[in-house]
Amino acid sequence: MTARLRRYTPFATSGLQSLLQYRSMFAMTAMTAAAGAAVTVFLWRAVYAGTPGRGPGGFTVEDITTYLLVAQILQVLHTNRVDDEVAAEVYRGDVAVMLVRPVSYPVMRFFACLPVVGANAVLVGLPVLGLFALLVPLTAPRPADLLLFTVSTALSVLLAFCVNLLTGMTGFLTTNTWGVRMVKQSVVAFFAGQLVPLALMPGPLAALAKVLPFRGMVDGPLTLLLGRYDGWTDAAGVLVQQAAWAAGLSLLCAALWRAALGRLEVLGG
Amino acid sequence: MIVAERLVKEFRLAERKPGLLGSLSTLLTRRHRVVRAVDDVSFEIPAGTKTAYIGANGAGKSTTIKMLTGIMTPTSGRCTVAGLEPYRHRQRNARTIGVVFGQRSQLWWDLSVPDSFRILRRVYDIPEPVYRRNLDLFRELLDIDALGPTPVRQLSLGQRMRAEIAASLLHDPAVLFWDEPTIGLDMVLKDAVRHLVNRAHRELGTTVVLTSHDIADIGAICDSALVVDHGRVVHQGTLKDLLRTADHRSVVFDHRDGTAAGTVRARIEAGLPGVRATPDDGGRIRVDYPAGRYTSRQVLTFLLDHFDLADWYAPEPGLEDVLRKIYGRARVPGDTPDGAGRTPDGAA
Repeated sequence: MTARLRRYTPFATSGLQSLLQYRSMFAMTAMTAAAGAAVTVFLWRAVYAGTPGRGPGGFTVEDITTYLLVAQILQVLHTNRVDDEVAAEVYRGDVAVMLVRPVSYPVMRFFACLPVVGANAVLVGLPVLGLFALLVPLTAPRPADLLLFTVSTALSVLLAFCVNLLTGMTGFLTTNTWGVRMVKQSVVAFFAGQLVPLALMPGPLAALAKVLPFRGMVDGPLTLLLGRYDGWTDAAGVLVQQAAWAAGLSLLCAALWRAALGRLEVLGG
Repeated sequence: MIVAERLVKEFRLAERKPGLLGSLSTLLTRRHRVVRAVDDVSFEIPAGTKTAYIGANGAGKSTTIKMLTGIMTPTSGRCTVAGLEPYRHRQRNARTIGVVFGQRSQLWWDLSVPDSFRILRRVYDIPEPVYRRNLDLFRELLDIDALGPTPVRQLSLGQRMRAEIAASLLHDPAVLFWDEPTIGLDMVLKDAVRHLVNRAHRELGTTVVLTSHDIADIGAICDSALVVDHGRVVHQGTLKDLLRTADHRSVVFDHRDGTAAGTVRARIEAGLPGVRATPDDGGRIRVDYPAGRYTSRQVLTFLLDHFDLADWYAPEPGLEDVLRKIYGRARVPGDTPDGAGRTPDGAA
């Protein structure tokens, strides 16, 4: 098993190598993320400004600031480029040449996206977080919550990989994967609780969002970071739901990938 | 080594009508047309042979190669490479094969060639001595070091093809599938590539399947030929056998008669109906005769009887002529797709 996995490590290191050729890209992503965070953060701070103590959804003004800022950073971590790269390779037919290698394409994609996630965390996430920490008061998490958040974030990265891989695989069905990606982005932003925290959604909508896998991408990690859970079982419940969706979506990806390959038609070349 | 049994691959293509109105109408009604790219193909390629896979454009070569490399699954029938069905055991099959697709790069776009090779070394678990030996060989023959740290996307076509060819040989594969491997290469590099594959064949017993529109590649590398036309096999055997299927033979001669070229030509064509004589600029005359109607003895006897021959020779029928015939037939209008006259012996 480890010998097989070792075969994939060069995809992670080479991913990092090719990534570092595009340094200016990180500056752009950081600026976009900072601007996006600034808009939502200052908008929501205005909403909470008139309410001393706990405002709507039980958030303090520091809580909601932290929530929106970290949500923005999580979104950057989830932008792993898997959706557009897979979609492009599938509809251009370049996926064919990847298939002559003795590796699994989805697993290779997963390893190749790890450095993207890592680089985004270090070169975009931390600077943006540091910048806002200087500008606005944030909620300092308890050490245990920080630990839970770290585990939860790792699971959210896995969820984002699966969602993006499934999005990319629509390239088998349509050439307009750009549209599919736009829809995915909006659905994820909404149901993950990145635009509006789930706690502020109307009852039925919140109930729907809570059973969807997207919740584990933003709402899950932030519930744990801000300690908005009721005892250990509740906290474990968040992680278990994330893990279950990650496992379920991985299986779905594997099954759909297998089915898609059986029907693959590469014309020309 | 490679077996295909009644291999069929069909594609579903959406019918598009020309023009803007046509595009709009396809939004509402979409009709599909089934195209049979590979039509009931059976063949066997023995281990250790170097086979040219020959056919006109659209004959189904690339599609067959994609099934043999595990990229596509046949609509029906089956094929095996070293006992494995490639599309069922894609990853295991991938370890035993080396592939070059002239049209598509398999290298990593943003990485340099040495970096790509380091990845391949890990992916294929290539033992250190093998890796070293092969790198030395590529250095010597393909001047791979000259490619340096340039990312693949910035290489010229010729430079990229050198790297692709080296990459396909790096893990000492038992079977090589080369689809148009020499596009963009100059003469010296083409020679180096031919040398490289012949050496792998000699030292490791590598089985080679080559598709190329470069006749010289086929002649310099292959010993066998598999000819497909309209998705069907029309000839399988050695390259020499294929040459023997040429339906015309030629004799070229020089004479001392002083007769005008036009008269010589008229006399030959009158004496041997169905034969074509063409004088060349240097006063020599080329006689092309249908192999089925005349024996070489008959033609030569006629020439010796009627002319004072100074010199003569009979050139071997060229692969190019044989192939032009096969390719040409693929484009004859009204050619029925029921395969009439295209049975495997129909070509002979």
